Amino acid sequence: MKTIEYDIRGQICPSTLLIALREFNIHQEALRDGAVRLRFLTDHRDCVATIPESARNMGYTAEVTREQGCYLIEVHGG
Amino acid sequence: MVAGMMNETYLLLAGGSLALGLGAGAVMHRSDYCLAGMFRDLFLFRRVDKLRTLVLLIVATMLLFEGARLLGLLPNYPFPLFYAPSAANIIGGMLFGVGMVLAGGCVVGTLYKMGAGSLISAVAFVGLIAGSAGYAEIFPFWSGFIRHTTFFPGKITLPQIIGVGPTVPVLLIAAAAGVLTLRWRRQGAFRRNLLIAGDLPAWQAALLLALIGLLSAVVIGLPLGITASYAKIAGWIEQLVLPGHVADSAFFRAVPLHYRHPLTGAELAGGSGPQFDAIAAIQFPLVAGIVFGSAISALLLGEWHLRRKIPGRQLISALAGGVVMGFASRMAPTCNVWHLMGGLPILAGSSLLFLGGLFPGAWGGGRLLTSLVLPRDASSKSPVRP
Repeated sequence: MKTIEYDIRGQICPSTLLIALREFNIHQEALRDGAVRLRFLTDHRDCVATIPESARNMGYTAEVTREQGCYLIEVHGG
Repeated sequence: MVAGMMNETYLLLAGGSLALGLGAGAVMHRSDYCLAGMFRDLFLFRRVDKLRTLVLLIVATMLLFEGARLLGLLPNYPFPLFYAPSAANIIGGMLFGVGMVLAGGCVVGTLYKMGAGSLISAVAFVGLIAGSAGYAEIFPFWSGFIRHTTFFPGKITLPQIIGVGPTVPVLLIAAAAGVLTLRWRRQGAFRRNLLIAGDLPAWQAALLLALIGLLSAVVIGLPLGITASYAKIAGWIEQLVLPGHVADSAFFRAVPLHYRHPLTGAELAGGSGPQFDAIAAIQFPLVAGIVFGSAISALLLGEWHLRRKIPGRQLISALAGGVVMGFASRMAPTCNVWHLMGGLPILAGSSLLFLGGLFPGAWGGGRLLTSLVLPRDASSKSPVRP
């Protein structure tokens, strides 16, 4: 499975969520086929909830883990 | 004796404001309670969950203020620096809405995000000061505009306009909002998966901020407000370069705040000019408190980091948004925190008009942000790590 990682720390609100939503759409087929996994590095506290919620609403699996001073949100087809 | 009472009052103002700021900064950071985001996300994502908590905040403050008023704790009700509604409120609110979305946070969001290490918000803060300085140049014209477009001279609140006491309208609105809030609660609107350590649910943040607002009204004698301090900073900086211009400026010479402190009885005055007065004693500690409260919260969670790799387009947006917001907060007058957390709870006509302008402003700001700052076709520009 190919992994694409986005470092979107420190960006203006709501850039973080917009980038995540855009990448969900771009990689829609690959995510559903299990060919790709998206990893978002963010320090935006609100998005640690909204990105996984949006991913789950679209039928994907989302996991959040703490990294040094930020959060890693991993989204895959599940 | 008078000097001693004044010193005590100033210490109370500064100490009280610092404590309230520290509390507000920590609460806002833990909950990421972004007032700008609430309005922006309504249009960008059709998201209303945090906007609902703003309703909770306003109505809770409304009940607390009215209770305090009935107990005689708010002798300056309706508060100083609220004026009769005018067209300036809606125009200022609209421009403010555009600015806060472009800046990525409102006047207080900028502070708590800056405290947590956001470079974008630090840039927006510079813009806020520049915008406040710019407004000083149109102050004489805009004061005339406000005078000519005032709707109900001498009437500040909706109950005053319709000629009734505030208790019945407040209870009616609170009852309607209570029914709405219970319905939202049953629908699970306030439920949220807490995914990160130290997270504070937005509805709890709303209630804590309502309490902080009440303490400000009782101890300081005014609701929370911060933007006059931005104008003061602008005045101080401008004075270094153009001292004669600042001395001649009608805006910097004006002293609109006059009130008797509710606890000590001291007569207080203040304005936007570069001098130490009651506004400086109240707002600078409040601003510092919000920044440090958020910074301490972020440090305790191990989340404080200064991010330097920000797309240039976003930095320009933050600066422009800050300038527009600083300008609009003087035009309105004043900012969203003052109107939403201080004016709407007393049903101030100016705050209702400001709110009316804020919605289209946030919509317009969202359009500008998505079309100019965050282009849809910019996937190749995304910061992708290999």
